This record gives sequence, C-alpha cells and structure tokens, in this order.
Amino acid sequence: MPNNTTHNEHEKLLKIFAGIRCLNKDQLPRYLEGRLTDVEKHLVEQHMVDCDLCFDALLALQQEGLLEQYQGLSTGIQQYIRDSIRPVSQVRKMEHYVRKVKQRESMLIYFWLAAFIAGGAALLFVMNQYNYRRPHIIHAAMPVMAAANVTPAPAPAATLPTDSGLLQPHNTPPAPVARPTTAQATPVVKKDTIRTVAPPAVKRPAADSTAVVKPGAAPVKAPAKDSIKKTVVKSNTEEAAKPAPKDTPATVPAKNTEKDKKDNSSDNNTKQPAGATAASASSTKVDTDEFLYKAAMVYQRQGDLNEAINRYKRLSDGNSSRIGEMARYQMAVCYRDKGQTGKAKRVLKEVIRMDGSMKKSAQQLLDSL
Amino acid sequence: MYQQLNNLSDKELISRARKLKDREAEGVLLERYSHLMVAVCLPYLKKDAGAGTQTVFPQLLQRLSNGLKVQSIQKANEWVHQTIKTYFTNPDKQVPYYPSRESKDRLQTENRVEKAATNTIERQQLITHVHQALSKLGTDDRYIMEQFYLEHKTFADLAAQKGTTVEKIRQQLKKAKSRLATQLTN
Repeated sequence: MPNNTTHNEHEKLLKIFAGIRCLNKDQLPRYLEGRLTDVEKHLVEQHMVDCDLCFDALLALQQEGLLEQYQGLSTGIQQYIRDSIRPVSQVRKMEHYVRKVKQRESMLIYFWLAAFIAGGAALLFVMNQYNYRRPHIIHAAMPVMAAANVTPAPAPAATLPTDSGLLQPHNTPPAPVARPTTAQATPVVKKDTIRTVAPPAVKRPAADSTAVVKPGAAPVKAPAKDSIKKTVVKSNTEEAAKPAPKDTPATVPAKNTEKDKKDNSSDNNTKQPAGATAASASSTKVDTDEFLYKAAMVYQRQGDLNEAINRYKRLSDGNSSRIGEMARYQMAVCYRDKGQTGKAKRVLKEVIRMDGSMKKSAQQLLDSL
Repeated sequence: MYQQLNNLSDKELISRARKLKDREAEGVLLERYSHLMVAVCLPYLKKDAGAGTQTVFPQLLQRLSNGLKVQSIQKANEWVHQTIKTYFTNPDKQVPYYPSRESKDRLQTENRVEKAATNTIERQQLITHVHQALSKLGTDDRYIMEQFYLEHKTFADLAAQKGTTVEKIRQQLKKAKSRLATQLTN
C-alpha cells in the first residue's frame, strides 16, 4: 500500500508540467462564480500558474461591472472574426472553384485539339493511301495501254517467238493446248482489274493485222466494233506494221531460228522450223506471210477458230510455199477442233498432195481422224 | 471544416496559418483567445467600451494576424498576452514577441513529459528527475509545490494558509516551477 501511494504521488509530479489549454469562454465566469468542480478548479489553477493571460483575464473580470460587458463583447468579437474570415474563405473557395473549372476547360480544349490532330492525321493517312493505290493501278495499266496503242504490231510478234515452238507440225494438238492457256489467261486479267485495258492489248493487234492484210474488206465474223476500231487504230497499225517487216528479216527470224533450233534439239521434229527460217531469209514476202500466219495462230490459240480459219484460208489461197502448206495444216487442225472432220480431211489431203515438209505430219493427223 | 479546425492544437493551427496561409485556421486560433483578449482589455477600455470595440479590437486582431505571419510563436497564450500588453503600453509600435528563457525551459520540459506519455521507462526516469529537482528546491518552494500539486490545495487555501494574496501564491508557484524546469533542462 505505501508503495502504491508513493507511486501515485510520484505520478502526480509529472502533472506539474502537463500542458493544459487556456480557459474557454464559459469557464471564466464559472470560476469566478465558484461553479467549477474541485478537479476542474484545480486544473484551471494549474494552468493559471503559467498563463498570465488567463490570470489577468480573471483578475479583470473580478472588477465590478466588467462581467456583463465581457459576455457581450466576447460574443461580438467572435462574430467579427468569423465575418472577417468568412468572406475571405468564400472568395478563396470561389477562386479555387474557378481555377478548377478553367483547368477542366483547358483539359477539354487540349483533348479536342489532340482529337482534331489525330483525326486530321488519320484523314491524311487515308488520303495518302488512296493516292498511293490510285496511281499504282494507273501505272500498272499504262504499260499495257502503251503497248497496245503505240506498238500494236510488235506485241503479238513479241509473244510469237516464244510460241514459235507451237508451229511445229508434230505437236498435233496445238489448239487444245492453246485453249486452256487462253482460258486461264483471261481470268487472270479479270482479277487484276484491268478488264478494260487487257482485251485491246490482245485484240487490237489482230484487228490491226486484218487492216494490214485487207484494209478495205471487213472480217468475216468481226463485229461492228472492230470496224470502228480499225479506223481509229489504222494509223497506228500501219506505222507499227511497217517496222515489223523491216525488223523481221534481220532480227526476229534470226531469234526465231535460234529458239527453234533449241526446241528442235530437244524435239525430234527439227526440219520444219529450219525450213521456215530458210524461207523467211530468202524473201520479204515470205516474212509477211509468216507474220500473218502467226497472227492467225494467235486467233487459233484464243479459240476464235472461225477467224483463224479465215486467215489460214487467205494465206493458203494461191500460196504453195511452205507457209501455205503450214496454213493448210493448221486450218485442218482448226476444222478438226470444230468437229468438221470432213473438211479437215480434205485440207489434210491437199497438204499431202503438196508433198512438202508437212506431208508426214498431215498423214499422221489424217490417220488419227 | 470549422469543427475540424477547432479540434486542432494551437501549434497545428499556427502551422496551417503560416505555411498553408489558411485564413480559417487563423480565425479559429484568434477566436480561441478572443474572449481572454476581451477580458484583459476591459480594464483599459473601462471608460469607453464602445470606442474599444470599434478601434481597439480590430487593431489588436490585425496586429495578431500580422505577427502570426512573421513571428515564431511557441506558446499562443503568451504571444497574445504580450501583444495586448505592448499594444496598450506602446500603441504606435509593434513589438515582436520573444519568449523568455524560463518560458522556453518550461515548454521544453512540457514537451518531454508529453513525449514520455506512453513510454514507461522514460516516464520513470522523468519522475526520478523531477523528484530530485524538487528536493533541490528551497523548503518554502518545495512545500508550496507539494501542497498545490500533490495535495490539490487551491490558491485560496494556500493564500489563507500563508496569510497572503492569491496573486502572490501564484507568482511563487510560477517561480518554483520555472526553477524546477531549469534544473530539469540543464
């Protein structure tokens, strides 16, 4: 027990330096009037040991008549402080609010600005993509157009040397082979969306070639469109047709002969292309006939057998040379493909009768019919 | 917001008013001492209370507001008391507040006691130190301190016992406490 009491007394020693708040507005008159509890009174006096402000206030209020003034004045000064602080706070709050609104607006402006820039960039990108693709199509189409318009005659001539191997009479089904290739080629052209451009590239040379052969006469089964095209393209074809014979004597046949030789080395039938080159080298007329023969071959490969037959007929009429013989042979092939075996047999017999280099091939074909 | 600020200590309110320029904190602090300010000022305004409310209190509040921004205030009650005293003794000059050495020692000791509130070891050490410092005080000072803090005697009781006034008893207690604080600090 004595230990506990001494311990409590020692604990009380720390109260000497306990921090106690100043008296509030109500405690002052209550202390003066003696309406505080013992504990509360002791705490107030503990605080007053240090606090001159509270002690002076108590001494002042002990004077007569000042306690009444104190109540009114203290309330008034508190209201004064609140009134003087509140407007400032309200103004600060308003400023804060306005600043927030401005920040929000500026953020919105930045957002729309960024969105506008992004939209513009996207639009530019799309436009660039569109512009990039558009010329690409034109560029892709232009060479074909140029080839078709500027040099219509050399185009088939250029393709023909590769096909010159097909001229070989031993390739008995040249047309059946040619048909699938054309059938495959046209869809490819359609897929490339050069529909309008590709057909002229193929057809114009043919029309041109007809114009070269018979300027006044219309083709047998050519539509009216071709006759219109003829007049338009005539000047081009004439110009283009002229250099073809010039080139062919020296260069084209030579190339053909080289390629033919290569093909012939691989194939057993080597005689006919070699004979053809020899004939083309001999005279320019033969070269023209050969060119016309190749044009007819193009029609044949495209499947236009009637046109091809017409052209072969024209070549073979009164022409007993090797070209004429080959034209008859190909005409027979065309008839066979059309299913007119009678006509094919008749033409093949003519070839056999001519007793030329194609005789053997014609005989084989006749036997197969 | 007002209620939240009202629960803060003087030190926190001063800090908010100075660092954050919080006018509301400043208002709460001044309002906390306004009634004491009125009571202390009343004897000076005894003759013309109406003039006091219109001129003295706004000027005093303005001085306190200005001092709050520039002065380092450790004890708000001492700062308010000193400002009022200097205002009435020298109304044209604004004398800055400087706490006395005794006041600093008391404040330091109070902070030590506050810090040791939850630490038993420190509390025991502090109790020992206070007990030793108390034993070093004069007989009269030690007696009056023990009677007031341990026996819970009031000012009036001690004054009656000693045959003096309450003010003298309070002054004696204050000096004895300051000596004690000085001993503990040094």
